Amino acid sequence: MAVKTLDLSVEINGFEMKNPIITASGTYGYNNEFDVFCDVKALGAIVTKGITLEPRSGNEGERIFETTGGMINRIGLENIGIEAFLKEKLPVLNKCGIDFILNIAGNTPEDYIKLAQIAQKNNIKAIELNVSCPNVQHGCIEFGTNKQTLYELVQMVRKNYEHCLIVKLSPNVTSAEEIAEAAQNGGADAVSAINTVRGMGVKLDFLNGRFKKTTVSGGLSGQCIKPVALSFVDRISKVIDIPIIAIGGITSFEDVLEFFSVGAKAVQIGTANFTHPNAAEKLVNDLKKFMIQYNFSNLSELQQAVKGV
Amino acid sequence: MGKNNQGTIKDIQKISEEVYSVKIYAPTVDEILPGQYISILCEGLTFRRPFSVSDFDNHIITVLIKKRGKGTEYILSRKVGSSIEFSAPLGNVFSVENKKTLLIGAGIGAAPLFYLNKKLKELKVKTFFAAGFLSKDDIIVTPHPTLSRKGRGEYDFVSTDDGSNGNKGSICDYLEKLIAEFKPEKIVSCAPRPVLKIVAQTAQQHGLDCEICMEKVMACGIGVCRGCVIQLMQGDRVINKTVCKDGPVFNGKEVVWQ
Ligand SMILES: Cc1cc2nc3c(=O)[nH]c(=O)nc-3n(C[C@H](O)[C@H](O)[C@H](O)COP(=O)(O)OP(=O)(O)OC[C@H]3O[C@@H](n4cnc5c(N)ncnc54)[C@H](O)[C@@H]3O)c2cc1C
Ligand SMILES: Cc1cc2nc3c(=O)[nH]c(=O)nc-3n(C[C@H](O)[C@H](O)[C@H](O)COP(=O)(O)O)c2cc1C
Ligand code: FES
Repeated sequence: MAVKTLDLSVEINGFEMKNPIITASGTYGYNNEFDVFCDVKALGAIVTKGITLEPRSGNEGERIFETTGGMINRIGLENIGIEAFLKEKLPVLNKCGIDFILNIAGNTPEDYIKLAQIAQKNNIKAIELNVSCPNVQHGCIEFGTNKQTLYELVQMVRKNYEHCLIVKLSPNVTSAEEIAEAAQNGGADAVSAINTVRGMGVKLDFLNGRFKKTTVSGGLSGQCIKPVALSFVDRISKVIDIPIIAIGGITSFEDVLEFFSVGAKAVQIGTANFTHPNAAEKLVNDLKKFMIQYNFSNLSELQQAVKGV
Repeated sequence: MGKNNQGTIKDIQKISEEVYSVKIYAPTVDEILPGQYISILCEGLTFRRPFSVSDFDNHIITVLIKKRGKGTEYILSRKVGSSIEFSAPLGNVFSVENKKTLLIGAGIGAAPLFYLNKKLKELKVKTFFAAGFLSKDDIIVTPHPTLSRKGRGEYDFVSTDDGSNGNKGSICDYLEKLIAEFKPEKIVSCAPRPVLKIVAQTAQQHGLDCEICMEKVMACGIGVCRGCVIQLMQGDRVINKTVCKDGPVFNGKEVVWQ
Protein backbone atom coordinates (compact mmCIF):
# COMPACT_ATOMS: atom_id res chain seq x y z
CA MET A 1 0.00 0.00 0.00
CA ALA A 2 1.37 3.40 -0.93
CA VAL A 3 2.12 5.64 2.03
CA LYS A 4 0.16 8.84 1.78
CA THR A 5 2.36 11.87 1.81
CA LEU A 6 1.64 14.22 4.63
CA ASP A 7 1.28 17.88 3.72
CA LEU A 8 1.45 20.17 6.73
CA SER A 9 2.59 23.21 4.83
CA VAL A 10 1.17 26.69 5.10
CA GLU A 11 1.76 29.39 2.51
CA ILE A 12 1.04 33.09 2.99
CA ASN A 13 1.86 35.42 0.11
CA GLY A 14 4.81 33.36 -1.06
CA PHE A 15 6.12 32.64 2.43
CA GLU A 16 6.27 28.87 2.78
CA MET A 17 6.24 27.18 6.15
CA LYS A 18 6.63 23.42 6.38
CA ASN A 19 4.07 23.24 9.17
CA PRO A 20 1.81 25.61 11.14
CA ILE A 21 3.83 25.56 14.38
CA ILE A 22 5.67 28.86 14.87
CA THR A 23 7.42 30.22 17.97
CA ALA A 24 6.38 33.65 19.25
CA SER A 25 8.44 36.82 19.30
CA GLY A 26 10.43 37.49 22.44
CA THR A 27 10.38 33.91 23.65
CA TYR A 28 12.75 32.24 21.20
CA GLY A 29 15.67 34.56 20.59
CA TYR A 30 16.92 35.63 17.18
CA ASN A 31 18.03 32.41 15.55
CA ASN A 32 19.10 28.94 16.65
CA GLU A 33 19.39 29.54 20.41
CA PHE A 34 16.86 26.78 21.16
CA ASP A 35 18.91 24.20 19.28
CA VAL A 36 20.29 23.32 22.72
CA PHE A 37 16.82 21.93 23.49
CA CYS A 38 15.33 20.81 20.18
CA ASP A 39 15.59 20.95 16.40
CA VAL A 40 14.63 24.54 15.53
CA LYS A 41 14.58 23.98 11.79
CA ALA A 42 11.83 21.38 12.22
CA LEU A 43 9.43 24.21 13.12
CA GLY A 44 7.24 26.00 10.62
CA ALA A 45 9.06 29.21 11.48
CA ILE A 46 10.36 31.23 14.37
CA VAL A 47 9.43 34.85 14.94
CA THR A 48 12.47 36.85 15.98
CA LYS A 49 12.60 39.00 19.10
CA GLY A 50 11.10 42.42 18.26
CA ILE A 51 13.68 44.48 16.34
CA THR A 52 13.92 48.26 16.27
CA LEU A 53 16.08 50.56 14.11
CA GLU A 54 18.50 51.28 16.95
CA PRO A 55 19.52 48.86 19.71
CA ARG A 56 17.51 49.22 22.92
CA SER A 57 18.54 48.40 26.47
CA GLY A 58 15.02 47.79 27.76
CA ASN A 59 13.45 48.55 31.12
CA GLU A 60 15.17 48.91 34.46
CA GLY A 61 13.98 46.98 37.51
CA GLU A 62 12.21 43.64 37.74
CA ARG A 63 11.14 42.49 34.29
CA ILE A 64 9.33 39.21 34.80
CA PHE A 65 6.79 37.95 37.29
CA GLU A 66 5.26 34.50 37.51
CA THR A 67 1.48 34.33 37.86
CA THR A 68 -0.98 31.50 38.22
CA GLY A 69 -0.98 29.88 34.79
CA GLY A 70 1.36 32.38 33.17
CA MET A 71 3.67 35.32 33.58
CA ILE A 72 3.93 39.07 33.24
CA ASN A 73 6.79 40.70 31.36
CA ARG A 74 8.01 44.24 30.99
CA ILE A 75 11.20 43.63 29.06
CA GLY A 76 10.78 46.93 27.22
CA LEU A 77 11.93 45.63 23.85
CA GLU A 78 15.58 45.14 24.70
CA ASN A 79 17.08 44.18 21.34
CA ILE A 80 20.25 44.43 19.31
CA GLY A 81 18.83 46.67 16.56
CA ILE A 82 18.36 45.89 12.87
CA GLU A 83 21.95 46.47 11.84
CA ALA A 84 23.37 43.91 14.26
CA PHE A 85 20.54 41.54 13.36
CA LEU A 86 21.50 41.63 9.69
CA LYS A 87 25.17 41.23 10.44
CA GLU A 88 25.14 38.64 13.21
CA LYS A 89 21.82 36.77 13.21
CA LEU A 90 20.61 36.63 9.61
CA PRO A 91 23.63 34.60 8.39
CA VAL A 92 23.01 32.02 11.16
CA LEU A 93 19.33 31.72 10.24
CA ASN A 94 20.25 31.18 6.61
CA LYS A 95 23.05 28.77 7.36
CA CYS A 96 20.88 26.67 9.69
CA GLY A 97 17.97 26.65 7.25
CA ILE A 98 15.58 28.15 9.80
CA ASP A 99 12.48 29.80 8.32
CA PHE A 100 11.78 33.01 10.18
CA ILE A 101 9.51 36.01 10.45
CA LEU A 102 11.13 39.30 11.37
CA ASN A 103 9.18 41.05 14.14
CA ILE A 104 9.57 44.82 13.95
CA ALA A 105 8.60 47.69 16.23
CA GLY A 106 9.04 51.45 16.17
CA ASN A 107 8.10 54.76 17.70
CA THR A 108 6.95 56.43 14.50
CA PRO A 109 5.48 55.33 11.16
CA GLU A 110 8.84 56.25 9.61
CA ASP A 111 10.58 53.68 11.83
CA TYR A 112 8.27 50.95 10.54
CA ILE A 113 8.72 52.07 6.94
CA LYS A 114 12.49 52.08 7.21
CA LEU A 115 12.49 48.64 8.80
CA ALA A 116 10.18 47.32 6.08
CA GLN A 117 12.46 48.75 3.41
CA ILE A 118 15.46 47.11 5.02
CA ALA A 119 13.58 43.79 5.15
CA GLN A 120 12.63 44.17 1.49
CA LYS A 121 16.19 44.99 0.48
CA ASN A 122 17.58 42.02 2.36
CA ASN A 123 15.07 39.66 0.81
CA ILE A 124 13.45 38.80 4.14
CA LYS A 125 10.35 36.86 3.21
CA ALA A 126 8.04 37.67 6.12
CA ILE A 127 7.64 40.43 8.67
CA GLU A 128 5.35 40.80 11.65
CA LEU A 129 4.46 44.31 12.80
CA ASN A 130 4.37 44.64 16.55
CA VAL A 131 1.83 47.42 16.89
CA SER A 132 0.75 46.26 20.27
CA CYS A 133 3.61 46.16 22.69
CA PRO A 134 2.38 47.46 26.06
CA ASN A 135 5.86 47.72 27.54
CA VAL A 136 7.32 50.81 26.03
CA GLN A 137 6.49 54.36 27.01
CA HIS A 138 5.93 55.85 23.61
CA GLY A 139 5.11 54.32 20.34
CA CYS A 140 3.84 51.09 19.16
CA ILE A 141 0.84 50.53 21.43
CA GLU A 142 -0.85 53.59 19.96
CA PHE A 143 -0.74 52.14 16.46
CA GLY A 144 -2.50 49.02 17.61
CA THR A 145 -5.43 50.54 19.41
CA ASN A 146 -6.74 53.08 16.91
CA LYS A 147 -8.24 51.68 13.72
CA GLN A 148 -7.47 54.71 11.56
CA THR A 149 -3.83 54.99 12.69
CA LEU A 150 -3.38 51.26 12.22
CA TYR A 151 -4.93 51.32 8.76
CA GLU A 152 -2.60 54.13 7.65
CA LEU A 153 0.46 52.46 9.17
CA VAL A 154 -0.22 49.12 7.48
CA GLN A 155 -0.88 50.86 4.18
CA MET A 156 2.45 52.71 4.33
CA VAL A 157 4.36 49.55 5.23
CA ARG A 158 2.57 47.66 2.45
CA LYS A 159 3.80 50.17 -0.15
CA ASN A 160 7.38 49.44 0.91
CA TYR A 161 7.25 45.69 1.35
CA GLU A 162 6.01 43.13 -1.13
CA HIS A 163 6.46 39.83 0.74
CA CYS A 164 4.42 38.33 3.56
CA LEU A 165 3.15 41.11 5.84
CA ILE A 166 1.66 40.01 9.16
CA VAL A 167 0.10 42.48 11.60
CA LYS A 168 0.14 41.41 15.25
CA LEU A 169 -2.93 42.54 17.13
CA SER A 170 -3.37 43.66 20.70
CA PRO A 171 -6.20 42.30 22.84
CA ASN A 172 -6.23 45.58 24.77
CA VAL A 173 -8.77 47.21 22.43
CA THR A 174 -12.46 47.97 22.52
CA SER A 175 -13.28 46.29 19.22
CA ALA A 176 -11.26 43.32 18.02
CA GLU A 177 -13.28 43.24 14.82
CA GLU A 178 -12.60 46.86 13.81
CA ILE A 179 -8.89 46.56 14.44
CA ALA A 180 -8.63 43.32 12.45
CA GLU A 181 -10.54 44.88 9.57
CA ALA A 182 -8.24 47.90 9.62
CA ALA A 183 -5.23 45.59 9.25
CA GLN A 184 -6.86 43.72 6.38
CA ASN A 185 -7.95 46.90 4.61
CA GLY A 186 -4.48 48.36 5.00
CA GLY A 187 -3.14 45.47 2.96
CA ALA A 188 -1.93 42.89 5.50
CA ASP A 189 -1.48 39.34 4.21
CA ALA A 190 -2.31 37.89 7.63
CA VAL A 191 -2.89 38.87 11.23
CA SER A 192 -1.46 37.26 14.32
CA ALA A 193 -3.31 37.50 17.62
CA ILE A 194 -2.96 38.03 20.45
CA ASN A 195 -0.11 39.96 21.93
CA THR A 196 0.07 40.09 25.72
CA VAL A 197 -2.83 41.23 27.88
CA ARG A 198 -2.22 44.20 30.11
CA GLY A 199 -1.66 42.94 33.63
CA MET A 200 -0.03 43.55 36.98
CA GLY A 201 1.68 41.38 39.54
CA VAL A 202 1.92 42.37 43.19
CA LYS A 203 4.21 40.71 45.71
CA LEU A 204 3.79 41.64 49.36
CA ASP A 205 6.27 40.73 52.05
CA PHE A 206 5.53 41.32 55.71
CA LEU A 207 8.84 41.93 57.46
CA ASN A 208 9.41 43.30 60.96
CA GLY A 209 5.85 44.52 61.24
CA ARG A 210 5.83 46.31 57.89
CA PHE A 211 4.63 45.56 54.39
CA LYS A 212 7.03 45.67 51.49
CA LYS A 213 5.45 45.78 48.06
CA THR A 214 6.93 44.90 44.68
CA THR A 215 4.88 45.36 41.54
CA VAL A 216 5.47 44.35 37.95
CA SER A 217 3.09 45.91 35.41
CA GLY A 218 3.32 44.69 31.86
CA GLY A 219 2.01 42.05 29.49
CA LEU A 220 0.35 38.89 30.73
CA SER A 221 0.98 35.71 28.73
CA GLY A 222 0.75 31.96 29.08
CA GLN A 223 -2.05 29.45 29.61
CA CYS A 224 -4.16 31.89 31.61
CA ILE A 225 -4.75 34.07 28.51
CA LYS A 226 -5.90 31.24 26.25
CA PRO A 227 -9.62 31.93 26.70
CA VAL A 228 -9.01 35.60 25.85
CA ALA A 229 -7.15 34.57 22.71
CA LEU A 230 -9.77 32.00 21.67
CA SER A 231 -12.52 34.59 21.93
CA PHE A 232 -10.45 37.17 20.04
CA VAL A 233 -9.62 34.80 17.18
CA ASP A 234 -13.21 33.56 17.03
CA ARG A 235 -14.55 37.11 16.71
CA ILE A 236 -12.09 38.35 14.10
CA SER A 237 -12.40 35.19 12.00
CA LYS A 238 -16.01 36.17 11.37
CA VAL A 239 -15.07 39.52 9.82
CA ILE A 240 -11.77 39.05 7.95
CA ASP A 241 -10.74 36.69 5.15
CA ILE A 242 -6.95 36.82 5.46
CA PRO A 243 -5.26 34.03 7.44
CA ILE A 244 -5.15 34.26 11.23
CA ILE A 245 -2.14 33.06 13.19
CA ALA A 246 -3.32 32.34 16.72
CA ILE A 247 -1.22 33.15 19.79
CA GLY A 248 -2.02 32.95 23.47
CA GLY A 249 -1.25 30.27 25.99
CA ILE A 250 -0.86 27.48 23.45
CA THR A 251 0.87 24.56 25.14
CA SER A 252 -0.71 21.26 24.11
CA PHE A 253 -1.91 19.69 20.88
CA GLU A 254 -5.49 20.06 22.13
CA ASP A 255 -4.86 23.82 22.33
CA VAL A 256 -3.74 23.83 18.69
CA LEU A 257 -6.91 22.02 17.60
CA GLU A 258 -9.06 24.43 19.62
CA PHE A 259 -7.56 27.38 17.78
CA PHE A 260 -8.01 25.62 14.42
CA SER A 261 -11.66 25.16 15.41
CA VAL A 262 -12.18 28.91 15.70
CA GLY A 263 -10.49 29.64 12.40
CA ALA A 264 -6.71 29.79 12.90
CA LYS A 265 -4.46 28.70 10.02
CA ALA A 266 -1.30 28.52 12.10
CA VAL A 267 -0.28 29.02 15.72
CA GLN A 268 2.52 30.62 17.69
CA ILE A 269 3.96 29.22 20.90
CA GLY A 270 5.36 31.70 23.42
CA THR A 271 5.50 31.27 27.18
CA ALA A 272 5.18 27.48 26.88
CA ASN A 273 8.76 27.46 25.54
CA PHE A 274 9.96 28.51 28.99
CA THR A 275 8.16 25.72 30.83
CA HIS A 276 8.86 23.07 28.19
CA PRO A 277 11.75 24.19 26.01
CA ASN A 278 10.93 21.52 23.42
CA ALA A 279 7.19 22.32 23.42
CA ALA A 280 7.07 23.59 19.85
CA GLU A 281 8.92 20.64 18.32
CA LYS A 282 6.69 18.28 20.28
CA LEU A 283 3.60 19.97 18.80
CA VAL A 284 4.93 19.37 15.28
CA ASN A 285 5.35 15.68 16.10
CA ASP A 286 1.96 15.43 17.81
CA LEU A 287 0.28 17.04 14.81
CA LYS A 288 1.98 14.62 12.42
CA LYS A 289 1.08 11.63 14.56
CA PHE A 290 -2.55 12.67 14.80
CA MET A 291 -2.86 13.23 11.07
CA ILE A 292 -1.30 9.88 10.23
CA GLN A 293 -3.41 8.05 12.79
CA TYR A 294 -6.67 9.57 11.58
CA ASN A 295 -5.82 9.65 7.90
CA PHE A 296 -5.65 13.35 7.17
CA SER A 297 -3.36 13.97 4.22
CA ASN A 298 -3.14 17.72 4.40
CA LEU A 299 -3.49 20.46 6.96
CA SER A 300 -6.44 22.26 5.45
CA GLU A 301 -8.39 19.02 5.44
CA LEU A 302 -7.82 18.74 9.19
CA GLN A 303 -8.61 22.41 9.72
CA GLN A 304 -11.85 22.10 7.74
CA ALA A 305 -12.87 19.06 9.72
CA VAL A 306 -12.31 20.65 13.10
CA LYS A 307 -13.80 23.97 12.05
CA GLY A 308 -16.87 22.43 10.49
CA VAL A 309 -18.16 20.94 13.72
CA MET B 1 17.93 16.12 23.03
CA GLY B 2 20.48 18.58 24.35
CA LYS B 3 20.00 20.37 27.59
CA ASN B 4 16.56 19.05 28.53
CA ASN B 5 17.08 16.02 30.74
CA GLN B 6 15.09 13.39 32.58
CA GLY B 7 16.54 12.21 35.86
CA THR B 8 15.61 10.12 38.86
CA ILE B 9 15.60 11.30 42.45
CA LYS B 10 18.03 9.09 44.35
CA ASP B 11 18.03 10.65 47.77
CA ILE B 12 16.49 13.51 49.76
CA GLN B 13 17.89 14.36 53.17
CA LYS B 14 17.18 17.19 55.54
CA ILE B 15 20.49 18.88 56.33
CA SER B 16 19.46 21.97 58.25
CA GLU B 17 16.35 23.69 59.56
CA GLU B 18 15.05 24.51 56.05
CA VAL B 19 17.54 23.00 53.62
CA TYR B 20 17.49 19.58 51.97
CA SER B 21 20.13 17.78 49.98
CA VAL B 22 18.64 16.28 46.81
CA LYS B 23 20.57 13.79 44.68
CA ILE B 24 19.47 13.27 41.11
CA TYR B 25 20.67 10.51 38.81
CA ALA B 26 21.05 12.11 35.39
CA PRO B 27 22.23 9.60 32.77
CA THR B 28 22.24 12.22 30.00
CA VAL B 29 24.37 14.76 31.84
CA ASP B 30 28.07 14.14 31.33
CA GLU B 31 29.58 17.21 32.86
CA ILE B 32 28.62 20.13 35.08
CA LEU B 33 31.24 22.53 36.40
CA PRO B 34 31.30 24.58 39.62
CA GLY B 35 29.13 27.67 39.29
CA GLN B 36 26.70 26.08 36.84
CA TYR B 37 23.10 25.35 37.75
CA ILE B 38 20.18 23.19 36.75
CA SER B 39 16.60 24.37 36.30
CA ILE B 40 13.85 22.01 37.45
CA LEU B 41 10.37 21.69 35.94
CA CYS B 42 7.76 21.98 38.71
CA GLU B 43 4.28 20.71 37.95
CA GLY B 44 1.77 23.51 37.47
CA LEU B 45 4.34 26.31 37.44
CA THR B 46 5.36 28.41 34.44
CA PHE B 47 9.03 28.89 35.34
CA ARG B 48 11.51 26.15 35.98
CA ARG B 49 13.34 26.67 39.27
CA PRO B 50 17.14 27.20 39.18
CA PHE B 51 19.50 25.55 41.69
CA SER B 52 23.26 25.68 41.82
CA VAL B 53 25.06 22.39 41.57
CA SER B 54 26.62 21.55 44.90
CA ASP B 55 28.31 18.39 43.71
CA PHE B 56 28.54 16.30 40.57
CA ASP B 57 30.03 12.86 40.40
CA ASN B 58 29.45 10.12 37.86
CA HIS B 59 26.02 11.33 36.65
CA ILE B 60 24.81 12.13 40.16
CA ILE B 61 23.90 15.79 40.61
CA THR B 62 23.57 17.11 44.15
CA VAL B 63 21.58 20.27 44.79
CA LEU B 64 20.87 21.82 48.18
CA ILE B 65 17.35 23.20 48.26
CA LYS B 66 15.90 25.63 50.73
CA LYS B 67 12.13 25.31 51.16
CA ARG B 68 10.44 28.53 50.09
CA GLY B 69 7.30 28.44 47.97
CA LYS B 70 5.38 26.18 45.60
CA GLY B 71 8.32 25.11 43.44
CA THR B 72 10.64 24.00 46.19
CA GLU B 73 7.73 22.36 48.01
CA TYR B 74 6.90 20.40 44.86
CA ILE B 75 10.47 19.17 44.43
CA LEU B 76 10.89 18.26 48.07
CA SER B 77 7.59 16.38 48.12
CA ARG B 78 8.77 14.01 45.38
CA LYS B 79 9.58 10.49 46.44
CA VAL B 80 12.93 8.80 46.01
CA GLY B 81 12.76 6.90 42.72
CA SER B 82 10.42 9.36 41.01
CA SER B 83 11.44 11.03 37.80
CA ILE B 84 12.25 14.67 37.40
CA GLU B 85 12.72 16.88 34.34
CA PHE B 86 15.28 19.67 34.26
CA SER B 87 17.50 21.77 32.02
CA ALA B 88 21.24 21.35 32.50
CA PRO B 89 23.93 22.37 32.49
CA LEU B 90 23.10 26.07 32.45
CA GLY B 91 25.15 29.18 33.07
CA ASN B 92 28.84 30.00 33.20
CA VAL B 93 31.45 28.75 35.65
CA PHE B 94 33.73 29.88 38.44
CA SER B 95 37.23 30.15 37.09
CA VAL B 96 39.37 27.40 38.52
CA GLU B 97 42.89 28.75 38.86
CA ASN B 98 45.88 28.42 41.10
CA LYS B 99 45.16 31.37 43.39
CA LYS B 100 44.78 31.21 47.14
CA THR B 101 41.01 31.52 47.45
CA LEU B 102 38.74 32.71 50.23
CA LEU B 103 35.22 31.31 49.82
CA ILE B 104 32.44 33.32 51.45
CA GLY B 105 28.97 31.79 51.73
CA ALA B 106 25.92 33.04 53.54
CA GLY B 107 22.89 30.85 54.09
CA ILE B 108 21.90 28.74 51.09
CA GLY B 109 24.56 30.64 49.13
CA ALA B 110 27.08 28.14 50.45
CA ALA B 111 25.65 25.53 48.04
CA PRO B 112 27.81 26.08 44.92
CA LEU B 113 30.91 26.72 47.02
CA PHE B 114 31.07 23.09 48.21
CA TYR B 115 31.64 21.95 44.64
CA LEU B 116 34.15 24.68 43.88
CA ASN B 117 36.03 23.96 47.11
CA LYS B 118 36.21 20.27 46.21
CA LYS B 119 37.59 21.01 42.72
CA LEU B 120 40.12 23.52 44.01
CA LYS B 121 41.32 21.10 46.69
CA GLU B 122 41.72 18.34 44.11
CA LEU B 123 44.03 20.69 42.27
CA LYS B 124 45.87 21.48 45.50
CA VAL B 125 44.81 25.12 45.44
CA LYS B 126 44.76 26.59 48.96
CA THR B 127 41.25 27.53 50.04
CA PHE B 128 39.55 28.84 53.15
CA PHE B 129 35.80 28.27 53.34
CA ALA B 130 33.90 30.70 55.57
CA ALA B 131 30.14 30.85 55.89
CA GLY B 132 27.54 32.73 57.87
CA PHE B 133 24.12 31.54 59.04
CA LEU B 134 21.30 32.84 61.22
CA SER B 135 21.61 30.25 63.94
CA LYS B 136 23.16 26.86 64.70
CA ASP B 137 20.21 24.94 63.25
CA ASP B 138 20.59 26.79 59.95
CA ILE B 139 24.17 25.70 59.33
CA ILE B 140 24.22 23.69 56.14
CA VAL B 141 26.29 20.57 56.52
CA THR B 142 26.38 18.16 53.58
CA PRO B 143 25.23 14.60 54.34
CA HIS B 144 28.73 13.17 54.29
CA PRO B 145 31.14 15.94 55.18
CA THR B 146 34.79 15.06 54.80
CA LEU B 147 35.39 16.99 57.99
CA SER B 148 33.25 17.58 61.03
CA ARG B 149 34.05 20.36 63.37
CA LYS B 150 31.30 20.29 65.98
CA GLY B 151 28.40 20.62 63.56
CA ARG B 152 30.36 22.96 61.31
CA GLY B 153 31.06 20.45 58.57
CA GLU B 154 33.43 21.48 55.86
CA TYR B 155 33.76 25.08 56.86
CA ASP B 156 37.02 26.52 58.06
CA PHE B 157 35.10 29.34 59.72
CA VAL B 158 31.48 29.78 60.72
CA SER B 159 29.55 32.72 62.06
CA THR B 160 25.96 32.77 63.29
CA ASP B 161 23.95 35.91 63.83
CA ASP B 162 22.94 34.79 67.32
CA GLY B 163 26.30 33.28 68.21
CA SER B 164 24.77 29.83 68.88
CA ASN B 165 27.63 28.14 67.00
CA GLY B 166 30.93 29.61 65.87
CA ASN B 167 31.54 33.32 65.93
CA LYS B 168 28.70 35.71 66.69
CA GLY B 169 27.57 38.13 64.02
CA SER B 170 27.27 38.43 60.25
CA ILE B 171 29.96 36.93 58.04
CA CYS B 172 30.55 40.48 56.79
CA ASP B 173 31.77 41.49 60.26
CA TYR B 174 34.66 39.05 59.85
CA LEU B 175 35.75 39.83 56.29
CA GLU B 176 38.67 42.08 57.23
CA LYS B 177 39.91 39.60 59.81
CA LEU B 178 39.66 36.67 57.38
CA ILE B 179 41.55 38.57 54.69
CA ALA B 180 44.23 39.65 57.15
CA GLU B 181 44.74 36.11 58.47
CA PHE B 182 44.36 33.98 55.34
CA LYS B 183 45.87 36.52 52.89
CA PRO B 184 43.91 35.34 49.84
CA GLU B 185 44.64 36.32 46.24
CA LYS B 186 41.01 35.89 45.36
CA ILE B 187 37.55 35.90 46.95
CA VAL B 188 34.61 33.87 45.65
CA SER B 189 31.18 34.45 47.13
CA CYS B 190 27.59 33.36 46.84
CA ALA B 191 25.18 35.02 49.25
CA PRO B 192 22.22 37.40 49.41
CA ARG B 193 22.71 40.59 47.41
CA PRO B 194 23.60 42.92 50.33
CA VAL B 195 26.36 40.53 51.44
CA LEU B 196 27.70 40.19 47.88
CA LYS B 197 27.90 43.94 47.60
CA ILE B 198 29.98 44.23 50.77
CA VAL B 199 32.21 41.32 49.72
CA ALA B 200 32.79 42.82 46.27
CA GLN B 201 33.60 46.25 47.69
CA THR B 202 35.91 44.83 50.34
CA ALA B 203 37.75 42.73 47.73
CA GLN B 204 38.18 45.82 45.59
CA GLN B 205 39.61 47.83 48.49
CA HIS B 206 42.18 45.10 49.01
CA GLY B 207 42.91 44.78 45.31
CA LEU B 208 41.81 41.13 45.27
CA ASP B 209 40.18 39.24 42.41
CA CYS B 210 36.53 38.63 43.17
CA GLU B 211 33.94 36.34 41.64
CA ILE B 212 30.35 36.44 42.84
CA CYS B 213 27.35 34.26 42.07
CA MET B 214 24.13 36.23 41.52
CA GLU B 215 20.42 35.32 41.60
CA LYS B 216 17.49 36.59 39.58
CA VAL B 217 14.07 35.15 38.78
CA MET B 218 14.41 33.37 35.43
CA ALA B 219 12.12 32.39 32.59
CA CYS B 220 14.12 30.95 29.67
CA GLY B 221 17.46 30.10 31.30
CA ILE B 222 19.38 30.55 28.04
CA GLY B 223 19.62 34.30 27.57
CA VAL B 224 16.83 34.86 25.05
CA CYS B 225 13.96 36.43 26.99
CA ARG B 226 16.07 39.16 28.66
CA GLY B 227 14.04 38.78 31.83
CA CYS B 228 17.00 38.34 34.20
CA VAL B 229 19.41 41.10 33.23
CA ILE B 230 21.76 42.91 35.57
CA GLN B 231 24.03 45.79 34.69
CA LEU B 232 27.80 45.56 34.41
CA MET B 233 30.29 48.35 34.02
CA GLN B 234 32.77 47.37 31.31
CA GLY B 235 35.27 50.05 30.50
CA ASP B 236 33.19 53.20 30.78
CA ARG B 237 30.03 51.60 29.44
CA VAL B 238 27.10 50.13 31.34
CA ILE B 239 25.82 47.01 29.62
CA ASN B 240 23.10 44.44 30.25
CA LYS B 241 24.12 40.88 31.00
CA THR B 242 21.85 37.93 31.68
CA VAL B 243 22.24 36.14 35.00
CA CYS B 244 21.01 32.91 33.37
CA LYS B 245 23.54 32.64 30.54
CA ASP B 246 26.27 35.28 30.91
CA GLY B 247 26.20 34.49 34.66
CA PRO B 248 25.40 33.49 37.32
CA VAL B 249 29.10 34.10 38.04
CA PHE B 250 30.32 37.66 37.56
CA ASN B 251 33.43 39.67 38.22
CA GLY B 252 32.65 41.51 41.47
CA LYS B 253 34.37 44.63 40.19
CA GLU B 254 32.00 44.99 37.24
CA VAL B 255 28.59 44.61 38.85
CA VAL B 256 26.60 47.85 39.09
CA TRP B 257 24.81 47.85 42.47
CA GLN B 258 21.57 49.84 42.22
C1 LIG C 1 21.46 30.78 39.54
C2 LIG C 1 20.62 30.47 40.75
C3 LIG C 1 21.03 29.51 41.63
C4 LIG C 1 20.27 29.19 42.74
N1 LIG C 1 20.69 28.21 43.57
C5 LIG C 1 19.95 27.83 44.61
C6 LIG C 1 20.36 26.75 45.45
O1 LIG C 1 21.43 26.16 45.26
N2 LIG C 1 19.55 26.40 46.48
C7 LIG C 1 18.36 27.04 46.73
O2 LIG C 1 17.65 26.65 47.65
N3 LIG C 1 17.95 28.06 45.95
C8 LIG C 1 18.70 28.48 44.90
N4 LIG C 1 18.26 29.51 44.09
C9 LIG C 1 17.00 30.18 44.41
C10 LIG C 1 15.81 29.31 43.98
O3 LIG C 1 15.79 29.24 42.57
C11 LIG C 1 14.50 29.88 44.50
O4 LIG C 1 14.50 29.80 45.89
C12 LIG C 1 13.31 29.10 43.99
O5 LIG C 1 13.16 29.35 42.62
C13 LIG C 1 12.06 29.48 44.72
O6 LIG C 1 10.96 28.79 44.16
P1 LIG C 1 9.61 28.57 44.96
O7 LIG C 1 8.55 28.26 43.98
O8 LIG C 1 9.81 27.58 46.04
O9 LIG C 1 9.35 29.94 45.65
P2 LIG C 1 8.52 31.18 45.09
O10 LIG C 1 7.23 31.19 45.81
O11 LIG C 1 8.51 31.21 43.63
O12 LIG C 1 9.44 32.36 45.57
C14 LIG C 1 10.00 32.44 46.85
C15 LIG C 1 11.09 33.46 46.78
O13 LIG C 1 12.11 33.05 45.87
C16 LIG C 1 12.31 34.03 44.85
N5 LIG C 1 12.48 33.35 43.57
C17 LIG C 1 11.51 32.76 42.83
N6 LIG C 1 12.00 32.25 41.68
C18 LIG C 1 13.32 32.53 41.71
C19 LIG C 1 14.36 32.28 40.81
N7 LIG C 1 14.14 31.68 39.65
N8 LIG C 1 15.58 32.70 41.14
C20 LIG C 1 15.79 33.35 42.31
N9 LIG C 1 14.85 33.60 43.19
C21 LIG C 1 13.63 33.21 42.90
C22 LIG C 1 11.07 34.86 44.84
O14 LIG C 1 11.31 36.18 44.41
C23 LIG C 1 10.63 34.83 46.27
O15 LIG C 1 11.26 35.80 47.02
C24 LIG C 1 19.04 29.87 42.98
C25 LIG C 1 18.62 30.85 42.09
C26 LIG C 1 19.39 31.16 40.98
C27 LIG C 1 18.94 32.21 40.04
C1 LIG D 1 9.28 37.60 27.64
C2 LIG D 1 8.39 37.97 26.48
C3 LIG D 1 8.85 38.84 25.50
C4 LIG D 1 8.04 39.20 24.42
N1 LIG D 1 8.53 40.04 23.46
C5 LIG D 1 7.77 40.34 22.38
C6 LIG D 1 8.27 41.16 21.32
O1 LIG D 1 9.42 41.60 21.34
N2 LIG D 1 7.46 41.45 20.27
C7 LIG D 1 6.18 40.95 20.19
O2 LIG D 1 5.49 41.21 19.23
N3 LIG D 1 5.68 40.15 21.18
C8 LIG D 1 6.43 39.84 22.26
N4 LIG D 1 5.92 39.02 23.25
C9 LIG D 1 4.55 38.50 23.13
C10 LIG D 1 4.53 37.07 22.60
O3 LIG D 1 5.09 37.00 21.31
C11 LIG D 1 3.09 36.51 22.57
O4 LIG D 1 2.30 37.31 21.75
C12 LIG D 1 2.46 36.45 23.95
O5 LIG D 1 3.42 36.05 24.90
C13 LIG D 1 1.26 35.54 24.03
O6 LIG D 1 1.58 34.20 23.72
P1 LIG D 1 1.88 33.07 24.84
O7 LIG D 1 0.73 33.08 25.79
O8 LIG D 1 2.03 31.79 24.08
O9 LIG D 1 3.15 33.49 25.50
C14 LIG D 1 6.74 38.66 24.34
C15 LIG D 1 6.27 37.78 25.32
C16 LIG D 1 7.08 37.42 26.39
C17 LIG D 1 6.56 36.46 27.42
S1 FES E 1 15.93 33.99 31.99
FE1 FES E 1 15.63 34.55 29.93
S2 FES E 1 17.32 35.82 29.58
FE2 FES E 1 17.72 35.02 31.52
